[in-house]
Amino acid sequence: MPVSFSLLLPELSVCGWILVMLAADLCAPAAKRSGLWVLALAGIVLCGWLLVGQAAPADGVSVQAMFRVDRFAQYFKLLFLLTTAVVVVMTRQFSHRFEAATGSFYMLLFTALLGMLTLASIDDLLMLFIGLELLTFSLYVMAAYLKTDARSVEAGMKYLILGSVSSGFLVYGIALLYGFAGSTSFSVIREALSAQAPMTAQAGLVLVLAGLGFKVAAVPFHLWVPDVYEGAPTPVVALLSVGSKMAGIVAILRVLYGVFQPLAAFWTELLAVIAAATMLYGNLAAIPQRNIKRLLGYSSIGHAGYLLMGLSNGSAAGAVSVGYYLLAYLFSNLAAFLVVVTVSEALGSDQLDAYQGLSKRSGWLSAGLFIALLSLAGVPPLAGFFGKLLVLLATVEGGRLWLVAIGAVNVAISLYYYLMVVKRMYLDAPASAAPVAVGGITKLVLLALLLGILAVGVFQAPYLARITLALSP
Amino acid sequence: MLPLLPVILLAPAVAALALCVVPHERHALIRRVAVFAASVSLAGAVIALWTYQASGGYQHELRVPWTVRPAIAFHLGVDGISAVLVLLHALCSFTGVLISFGIKQRVKEYYIFYLLLITGVFGVFLSLDLFFFYFFYEMAVIPMYPLVGIWGSDVKEQGVVRFSKEYAAMKLTIYLTLGAVVALTGLLWLYASSGAGTFDLVDLQRHLAEHPLPPELQRWMFPLLAIGFGVIAPMWPLHSWSPIGHAAAPSAVSMLHAGVLMKLGSYAIIRLAMGLLPAGAALWMPWLAAICVMNIIYGGFVAMAQKDLKLIIGYSSSSHMGYVLLGIACLTPTALDGAVLLMFAHGIMTALAFALVGHVYDQTHTRYLPDLGGLAHQMPFIAVCGVIAAMASSGLPGFANFAAELLVFAGGWDRYPVQIICGVFGVVITAVYMLRVVRGTFFGPKKTAYARVTDVATSFGRLPYVVLIAALLFVGCWPQSLLRVIDTASRPLIASIAPEPPPAPEHPSEHADARVLFPVHEMTR
Repeated sequence: MPVSFSLLLPELSVCGWILVMLAADLCAPAAKRSGLWVLALAGIVLCGWLLVGQAAPADGVSVQAMFRVDRFAQYFKLLFLLTTAVVVVMTRQFSHRFEAATGSFYMLLFTALLGMLTLASIDDLLMLFIGLELLTFSLYVMAAYLKTDARSVEAGMKYLILGSVSSGFLVYGIALLYGFAGSTSFSVIREALSAQAPMTAQAGLVLVLAGLGFKVAAVPFHLWVPDVYEGAPTPVVALLSVGSKMAGIVAILRVLYGVFQPLAAFWTELLAVIAAATMLYGNLAAIPQRNIKRLLGYSSIGHAGYLLMGLSNGSAAGAVSVGYYLLAYLFSNLAAFLVVVTVSEALGSDQLDAYQGLSKRSGWLSAGLFIALLSLAGVPPLAGFFGKLLVLLATVEGGRLWLVAIGAVNVAISLYYYLMVVKRMYLDAPASAAPVAVGGITKLVLLALLLGILAVGVFQAPYLARITLALSP
Repeated sequence: MLPLLPVILLAPAVAALALCVVPHERHALIRRVAVFAASVSLAGAVIALWTYQASGGYQHELRVPWTVRPAIAFHLGVDGISAVLVLLHALCSFTGVLISFGIKQRVKEYYIFYLLLITGVFGVFLSLDLFFFYFFYEMAVIPMYPLVGIWGSDVKEQGVVRFSKEYAAMKLTIYLTLGAVVALTGLLWLYASSGAGTFDLVDLQRHLAEHPLPPELQRWMFPLLAIGFGVIAPMWPLHSWSPIGHAAAPSAVSMLHAGVLMKLGSYAIIRLAMGLLPAGAALWMPWLAAICVMNIIYGGFVAMAQKDLKLIIGYSSSSHMGYVLLGIACLTPTALDGAVLLMFAHGIMTALAFALVGHVYDQTHTRYLPDLGGLAHQMPFIAVCGVIAAMASSGLPGFANFAAELLVFAGGWDRYPVQIICGVFGVVITAVYMLRVVRGTFFGPKKTAYARVTDVATSFGRLPYVVLIAALLFVGCWPQSLLRVIDTASRPLIASIAPEPPPAPEHPSEHADARVLFPVHEMTR
């Protein structure tokens, strides 16, 4: 069967654009490299255009039994593109710190994007490994991109070591599954599992989940999060916390729902326990933080807990709730990070103390962060609330009331530390009265993200219908 | 015809949106917009109550489908209970907006948050959909944080800060959110096990009437709802956020907080916990009745020990909410009528009290009782209102509080005589601390430190006080005006929980009994 390249067009365009960015980096004079973000954005728009124009068959089609193109993949690929586009805008104001290496940063960004796009379409364990490594390797380098900043280098190093260990787990798991089924193809493994499910398969599943748990920062694979979040360049952190986490969740969805459905009784229990531990750990550890990036890091662990809680139901409703949650999380977290980038550029600090009295220095930034944090906390009518509601609802229907109780209590815990940030911005006196300037493009993107938070939160029906359609098996 | 309920609900929301584009320094315009919105809501609330048909049930309904699965609809409607509470909230928010004229800093942001708070509370009373119920509930809770945190004041005792406003704001928000999520867990559980697949309260109620949940499920769901919403009621021992929150909030916010916000809890218990879980209610109500006594007595004693005016009224509120919960726990139509009427009466009374304390604090810059005294010389109008508020609070005949408490006591006597006796004792405690407040604040020799304080001089400034007192007296003298409406909702509700055994010959219907006990004709004389 010939390879139908038309189905691979979005990914091929990203591959091509990696070269375009490389060439542009080489050709553009050093002074003009800060303008490269426009080119990067153009590449994303091109890929998005190809993606939307792509006619995916209703029940999906598998290219060479490796690469699956369906509505599910399309939905998440759009989310990945959206994330990357916002990260590019963040990089725009950050790139002067990269000195001359801006062009190659965008190159790495596109490699990471390629990895995420691949993960949305995996139909084989090897594709899972390739996608994950494409994404993670780019992130290793990007995390350490501030070469003169010791914390950034430390962040890259930590991420590299822990990431390599988790890749080791993943490969070991893949090897076990291959030994069990005699193939790495999802369809073959699924058939073998429905016949029998020995310990080997379970062990393989646990190891694969460990490797993916590292990506989504689930307890006990979360240890890298606070230090990497604190040290890495903020746009990279945004990509880590939204794009990379989303990619991990998508891969888990593909693997668990697509392959391991016969073992559902096993992995739903496992995920439920991990979800509870992750939520509690992330939200409780966020309370004493003094650095906004660390705080958002721990909060992102908490959100990973909610996402796993949605997945732990093993039901279609659980998958839909996770799809919705990710959409809400994307808008809210990116808005928060956009504010963090802008503040850290203007004030040179990520410490929470820098946010004191921000409302008097920039109404835009403080209002933006206020709304983003409330949405992350799950306050209606913002997007995060409906995401949490759907996750809790799916879990109630799944019958795990203890998990719902933990999830509900975590809403209150998270509200506490988010409100402590709000308190600093609105209640405390500013260190200086100098206003913080916000660029026009930043304002525009922030406004778009905030409107997204509101739109997703208030008018649920159209999104819900689309997600249900995309995620229906 | 314009649909009535959306107008009530959206007038403050639209005003809040409109204020976003009004320039900061146009204080007069900002206030005018807020007053206009509150007046529209008030007019709407009066019309809604006036036109409420004696046939009962949900009226003025409006239903806009929202999502299909799970089925959520933007569904508004009032029954006899919520119609009265909507009027209460409209009165409190109208007078609260007028009292807020005292706010001088960041006026625009203040009114935006205040109007959002008003919208949220209206939304809870008007929503007939669990999703929107919770939605508006959170919308009422979250603005409290900035309102208390920014415009509030620290609670001081002899110059030493006892609670900072930031602490009070955070404690309030976290307590209420924690309560809300506990209740949400219960609601989701209820939703999932009902099998109705809808969040619509009316559909859900109908479904549950036909397929009741097994009692062993209701046994565990009811406490989740009752405790979750009990936090805001505030039910002992989860009340501690409330007096501190009252004390730290700016006066107009305390008015809404004590006047209406606390009633959200008791309303939610009536509407959701009792309405959806009749067997659970029947099982747990004796426990609630016991807790209420703690509310009444403990809250009363703590109020006696306080020296900060707002803390006294704050603890007295949590004490008085004990009567409301007691009336609910009795599960008789008369007592429930009394509880709802008391929610109204206490809301108006306590809003009046906080408005008065607010004026005293504005003028003297202290709420510390030992420092005050003799203010009747300088502010006779406020002193008169203060005495009236104290009398209403202590349940003197002629005020709505008296009628309501009497109904609770009369309606509950057959069920919980011991608790009722404790409750009557609580009235005495109230009289002690309220009279002490009045004596310590207004009476005694004129103090030189307060030579320059002034009364409310303009008739416009007096308007909110007069409106509140008029409402108290009107309902006190003609309680039937509200009871007529409340009764249409409370009877079917109680009937669904505790089907009355066929009346024994020597015991005529309890309800008729109470009507005889209740001396309407004497009070209107």
